[in-house]
Amino acid sequence: MAAEAGDGKPQPGRRPRSRLIVRLGALLVAHSVLVSVVCCIAGSIAFLLLPVLAKNTYVSENALMPGSANPMFSSQDVVEANRFLKEILDRGSAKVTGTEIAKLIGQHVVDVGAELYYHKFHPHGNQFHPLHFFSSITNTMEMQYNSSCTLFGLNSVGIIRAPRGDGKEAIVLVTPYNSQNIGQSEALSLGLAFSIFSLLSRVTWLAKDIVWLAADSRYGEYTAVDSWLKDYHNPLFLSNSGKIGTGVCFEENILHLLDQLKVKGPRYNIFKRAGTMAAALVFKVIEKKEKEERDSLTIYAEASNGQMPNLDLINIVHYLAVHRQGLRVKIGSMHSLLKAAWLKFVGEMLQLFGKLTKHLNPKWKFDITSAEYVEGTATLASSIYYQALGIPTGSHGAFRDYQVDAITLELSPRFSLNNENNRSAFLLRGGRLIEGVIRSVNNLLEKFHQSFFLYFLTAPHKFVSVGVYMIPFALLLAPLPIVSAALFSGNDNLGVSTEKVNQEPGCIGSSDTELRSGSWKWLQAAKVVFMIHLWAIIVSLLPYMLSQFPFMTPITLLLVWAALSICILLICYLIFGACSTHCGWELLKSVMIAAASTGLSLMSVINFSTAQIGAMLIVPMCLLVQPLRKQMQAGVCRKAVLVICNLTLAVVGFPPVALLIAKGACEGFGEAGAGSFWELAQLLWSWNSATYLYLLWIHLPCWVLCLHIFLYPCIGRSSEA
Amino acid sequence: MATRDPVMTHWSRVLLLFLVSVPLTSSSPSSWATMHNNNWAVLVCTSRFWFNYRHMANTLSLYRTVKRLGIPDERIILMLADDMACNARNNYPAQVFNNENHQLNLYGDNVEVDYRGYEVTVENFLRVLTGRHDPAVPRSKRLLSDEGSHILLYMTGHGGDEFLKFQDSEELQSHDLADAVRQMKEKSRFKELLIMVDTCQAATLFSQLQSPGVLAIGSSMKSENSYSHHLDSDIGVSVVDRFTFYTLAFFEKLNMYSNASLRSLFNSYNPSLLMSTAYYRMDLYQRPLSEVPVTSFFGSVMKTVHTDAAYTGVSMPSEMEGSLFIEDGEHHRIMLENEPNQENLGNEEAKEVHCPYHAWLKTLEGRLDDTVADILLQYGFATMILLLAISSWLSS
Repeated sequence: MAAEAGDGKPQPGRRPRSRLIVRLGALLVAHSVLVSVVCCIAGSIAFLLLPVLAKNTYVSENALMPGSANPMFSSQDVVEANRFLKEILDRGSAKVTGTEIAKLIGQHVVDVGAELYYHKFHPHGNQFHPLHFFSSITNTMEMQYNSSCTLFGLNSVGIIRAPRGDGKEAIVLVTPYNSQNIGQSEALSLGLAFSIFSLLSRVTWLAKDIVWLAADSRYGEYTAVDSWLKDYHNPLFLSNSGKIGTGVCFEENILHLLDQLKVKGPRYNIFKRAGTMAAALVFKVIEKKEKEERDSLTIYAEASNGQMPNLDLINIVHYLAVHRQGLRVKIGSMHSLLKAAWLKFVGEMLQLFGKLTKHLNPKWKFDITSAEYVEGTATLASSIYYQALGIPTGSHGAFRDYQVDAITLELSPRFSLNNENNRSAFLLRGGRLIEGVIRSVNNLLEKFHQSFFLYFLTAPHKFVSVGVYMIPFALLLAPLPIVSAALFSGNDNLGVSTEKVNQEPGCIGSSDTELRSGSWKWLQAAKVVFMIHLWAIIVSLLPYMLSQFPFMTPITLLLVWAALSICILLICYLIFGACSTHCGWELLKSVMIAAASTGLSLMSVINFSTAQIGAMLIVPMCLLVQPLRKQMQAGVCRKAVLVICNLTLAVVGFPPVALLIAKGACEGFGEAGAGSFWELAQLLWSWNSATYLYLLWIHLPCWVLCLHIFLYPCIGRSSEA
Repeated sequence: MATRDPVMTHWSRVLLLFLVSVPLTSSSPSSWATMHNNNWAVLVCTSRFWFNYRHMANTLSLYRTVKRLGIPDERIILMLADDMACNARNNYPAQVFNNENHQLNLYGDNVEVDYRGYEVTVENFLRVLTGRHDPAVPRSKRLLSDEGSHILLYMTGHGGDEFLKFQDSEELQSHDLADAVRQMKEKSRFKELLIMVDTCQAATLFSQLQSPGVLAIGSSMKSENSYSHHLDSDIGVSVVDRFTFYTLAFFEKLNMYSNASLRSLFNSYNPSLLMSTAYYRMDLYQRPLSEVPVTSFFGSVMKTVHTDAAYTGVSMPSEMEGSLFIEDGEHHRIMLENEPNQENLGNEEAKEVHCPYHAWLKTLEGRLDDTVADILLQYGFATMILLLAISSWLSS
């Protein structure tokens, strides 16, 4: 056994000539410290360079041709939008029931000559479904049992059939509005949507059907859009037995609704469909406090688990908004970074470096000003953060679950909307923008496929593609297997050598046990690692039981969760404690690193941003961790540095802390409290975010193991030998 | 003799008409083995999808032009890879325009599309050129040209280095084209062939051609792009390519009887307007371009000749050709005498110019009908030998 293991590992001296790749591997393993230092530094530098390496976006799909046609949205349509707005506000002030506006929308949609129906849905609460990760389509039946009949929302949906189209594809427009308390800006977005809808019912160039969903957002806009999409994609047939249970409740309400919604038009309660969705635009008007010199447009694109819509969709919106309508396009950016001094310093260094390279070779384009760099980094950080969180940034996220490209457009006017002239100019711009986007998507022949799906945005017109942003991650991850192998082989070498020493006295029995423990010792370490991972899985499932008790504050829930986790961990230690100390800490670290690198690689496939942020925390933590006692043997200076590094990483690497720091950096530390981690965790699992799984299945056990190594009781054999 | 005579008269008439339209040169009598007696056009749009609207508009514009200049519909093979007129995105249903002023609907009543949609494949295109069809293919879809045919082959689409893309799925390579042309030559399917291609790197498509009598013109050189001319912001697509646009602009000034030469067409291309360099391949073509009217490819002012065997072409008996040569020699002089007269009359009165020639024809026919024909033949033969001897002596 030992001989076999010895053959497997590289021994350049003994072997005359092994294969080149084996020798290269052996070389890397032999210089693991140097390799890991170089790789980590290179990875960090490459990560900081990402804003410099960002490329300008371009419309990749030929068929789109944004802006090639003159907009048809005219001042006549603006008048219509204004009229509709006035009607809504008149009805809204009456505030009879939630269905008043739905009725008004329905009436207008029918008048325009489009098909209309109402979609009734029941809101569902934030439940923890352990089996629902990665499965976006949750069971509708279960949902309806859970909710009471009295709680329901009412979406109004209008469909324009393309006069000469084949009816197999559709473009979806979504305008969320709160049916119970409608504000002016929401009414304005409804008015804008209606004027566009009525324009589209008259045009002759439609090749795809147009669906307008006026989503009732009184229970949250995501819920409204999501339940509509669910019903759109999962048709319920009358023979479906599961439907009967809820049917009674449904019928009852429909009868009730019939009285309220007297709209001329046939069968407006029957769900109608219009082909597969080519793209969806969620748009709303938001009046902002701070005034700017131009009307602005904010684009939200992140869907669940860091999925992004095709870059071409963002490209055409950006192109039309900037070059045709003169809007200012914004995307989210991390404001705390904008003022960071260190970032400004890095930016200035890069600027200097760029100038230097330009002197050397004018063809090299490292041109980036300091301000550009800081802005790019802040935007990139926010892009990574929202992708890493795995929570959609708007109701467009519901579409991504059905592989439909969708974005949210938030239009905000320059001046107050009360001014008639300003409002009209604003409506004209917004209407033309959305018409242009629809016309462009209408030209599409296939699904969006030409441009990128995996990218980060560093500005509305700049992106970092997957080929570039993989590099820092790969560099960060590369030392892990090498160090793991180095630790393992180092330990194994020792084992073999001690075995040889032991064999010389000639005690067969002792050498036998030594032999067994020497080659199979890693199984002990693996057992510990496995146990900790098992514990982590149990911890991750605890909230499911805890959430059964509804009347508890987040802080108590968090405390109970923490207490239970620690208890279970202690029990585990009591049971397996004896064997856990048996093996050396090197082997434990080696196996832990192997597990962490596997976990990170897996996560990078599911949600790259999470893996990237995680790697930045885990990798240094894993590489630097050493037992406290061993550190004490080193020199004073080195000891201090090591201990401080280990302690800082242990604090920052603690999942709740890491999560809260990330959240605080991006959204502000405003209401950060003890209970906020519970709320954050609840948010994560209710959105089926894989980040939750990552935090508790990979990050947490890795952290616990690091802590375990840090507080390791005996220094291990390596120091003894 | 009795059966041959009408044919002979026909031929003489054709010859005369040809003399009217084409100023004769004595430089290369060998290429006059068969007379140019009919015109064909093969117009191909190879790309589909809405954003390639302009390619269909290009082809339809050319179709309209050659029809206007006199090629009848049954001699035009029109291949359109997609139907833009009925595309749901078309703002003007069932209409195709090549200009944003929307003055001229190219897809009017008299458009006969021979190959449409997915029928436009490399295979079908090569079958049309080489004439190797399934027996079931109707005559209207075949290129029934013969050894006296002038063929215009116009192609537009997306191309690259030595290829032209068909239907977004397959390619026609320059080798395929050269091979097809060579087969056509060997099967005597054309006398002269003008290949006009409007695509990116069009010049590369001609690199493999080697058959004599082929003239090629492309919109761009190697590693150059061909660009669209303008965008119709009403329809929302580009409606015409630059090369085709300026070709059409040249032809719009002409009518069926104009004498503009190919040289003047080629000179009309301005690289700065095209944003590419038009390329001509002339080494396979014997006649000087300044003396070939564009109508010998883009028009059909000749009287049509009925031929019994479409496939074998007009196979003339040897003595027949002999007689033609005599006429050639004889009337050459007459023609030369008449030339200044014709030039004075100018283009617009071309129709009237024909009247004296009709008289000439009459008298000629009369003479040919006589028994004097035999003497005429002998004399003509002698003069021809004399001429040949003199010309060879001069050239050496």
